[in-house]
Amino acid sequence: MKAVIVHPGAVEAAVAAPEAAAELPPERLKDLVLPSRTLTALERVGIYHGMYLMRMRDALAADYPGLLHYLGADAFERLVQRYVQVYPSRSYTLNRLGDHLPEFIRDDQQLPRRGFLHDLARLELAITEVFDAAETAPVSPEAVAAVPAEAWAQARLRPIAAFRLLACSYPVSAYQQAVRGRKTPPKIGRQNNWVVIYRRNYGVYHLELSRRGYDLLQALAQGQPLAEAIEAVAQRARAGRIEDELFRMFRDWISVGLFQSIDY
Amino acid sequence: MSRNKWNLPDLGFGVGLRTVHYGHILKHQPPVDWFEILSENYMDTGGRPLYVLEQVCERYPVALHGVSLSIGSTDPIDWEYLRKLKALAARTKAHWVSDHLCWTGVSGQNTHDLLPMPYTEETLRHTVERVRTVSDYLERPLILENASTYLEFAPSTMKEWEFISRLAEQADCGLLFDVNNVYVSAFNHGYDPQLYIDAIPADRVVQYHLAGHTNKGTHIIDTHSDYVIDAVWELYRRSHKRTGATATLLEWDADIPSFEVVHEEALKARRHRELEAAA
Repeated sequence: MKAVIVHPGAVEAAVAAPEAAAELPPERLKDLVLPSRTLTALERVGIYHGMYLMRMRDALAADYPGLLHYLGADAFERLVQRYVQVYPSRSYTLNRLGDHLPEFIRDDQQLPRRGFLHDLARLELAITEVFDAAETAPVSPEAVAAVPAEAWAQARLRPIAAFRLLACSYPVSAYQQAVRGRKTPPKIGRQNNWVVIYRRNYGVYHLELSRRGYDLLQALAQGQPLAEAIEAVAQRARAGRIEDELFRMFRDWISVGLFQSIDY
Repeated sequence: MSRNKWNLPDLGFGVGLRTVHYGHILKHQPPVDWFEILSENYMDTGGRPLYVLEQVCERYPVALHGVSLSIGSTDPIDWEYLRKLKALAARTKAHWVSDHLCWTGVSGQNTHDLLPMPYTEETLRHTVERVRTVSDYLERPLILENASTYLEFAPSTMKEWEFISRLAEQADCGLLFDVNNVYVSAFNHGYDPQLYIDAIPADRVVQYHLAGHTNKGTHIIDTHSDYVIDAVWELYRRSHKRTGATATLLEWDADIPSFEVVHEEALKARRHRELEAAA
């Protein structure tokens, strides 16, 4: 029965498919399922078959509203149909059904503009991860003030759990936020951009970054001491002294609560 | 006073906790008797859902209701799922844990549907064993709900109400009796729902579910998307006469109206109980 329910085609094709037919030849369906006064055995199985894809589509639509908006309902449903054949739910929860969708989109030859859609899916996956991540309190202003001036150079900053950094080739953050806000999304052209998705007071936020900001935040998230991270970014920039700019960004990140601890 | 054999309390008239009502509930703290939560929605989150749940648990009694126990499946029991379920029950101080008499998948794949079971001696033995195992592990009352079904298996050797009654007795578990599901399944399979109501062991009914459904003409789908129909209220009164005052919960999961509308629908159960008592 499971093989019939999850089959991507019509219910007639589902009962005749090899996996289902190996368990029960289609002509013997009536030996397993009773007809009702109004429905044949096949039609009754078809109720469950039809609801499966609908349930998968609804779960993925909730997590990937930007993808749904861009593709439209029909193309999105066809994508879901292909996806759950490769990555069916193996969990007690539907919340993580879409965890493999970005990589599936990257490799799916049937999709247009895969680069853009792959970026958009990565962003929307990051949003769901940040939404559900453990709650970790950000460092307080008092804790920041308590760090001795001479200790900052070697300080290591640990991001909050609800924190994801993304480097994208398309401005998907603007697109996704427009869709969420029921506004007309911007036209999409290739444009490198960087964003951090984080959670504060149980709300999920996007913070656009410069390339330098992204590099610094990534180095800090990987555990590099502050001075070392800044120096590495400054060297890559080859633009003279940019420490002041980096320190300003760093101060902003502290104020929005991106870090949970400062070890020194 | 509740007459169930475990003396589990009549929690009154509750509603299912749903995301769209979070803001209203936190802001207004409505006078609801109790809330039922969908267990799986709170097992793996550290975000807003868990925050809201903690606020709710401070003010209201809570029961857990799951959809992925898959008690009828032939797959091994998912101990990681049960570990998280047990932890959530402890965290929420849940009065009981419920799920459905069904299977949801096999070979590790979850269809996330409440699939019907063949009602045979073999499946009865299998399910009794699993219910006992799960109950022992949870160390908290496990109650099982009759699901809405859209097909019947030819090899079944007994009616659903006989299966569920024998299961409850042999596994010594409670029942979450969904009278809307009785109506839906009775329509779909062409039997008299009153036979079902009258056959259920009343002292094992710990909780009721009520909901609306969608009548497609040829069959009914349990959509939880509308008001409870009069025929289901009649079944509720008939069953309540046998069970006595029992915790009752309204489910509304699609096309969800405002919290006030959902709560008002739940409170209709109180009036139906009073009507029954006065009759």
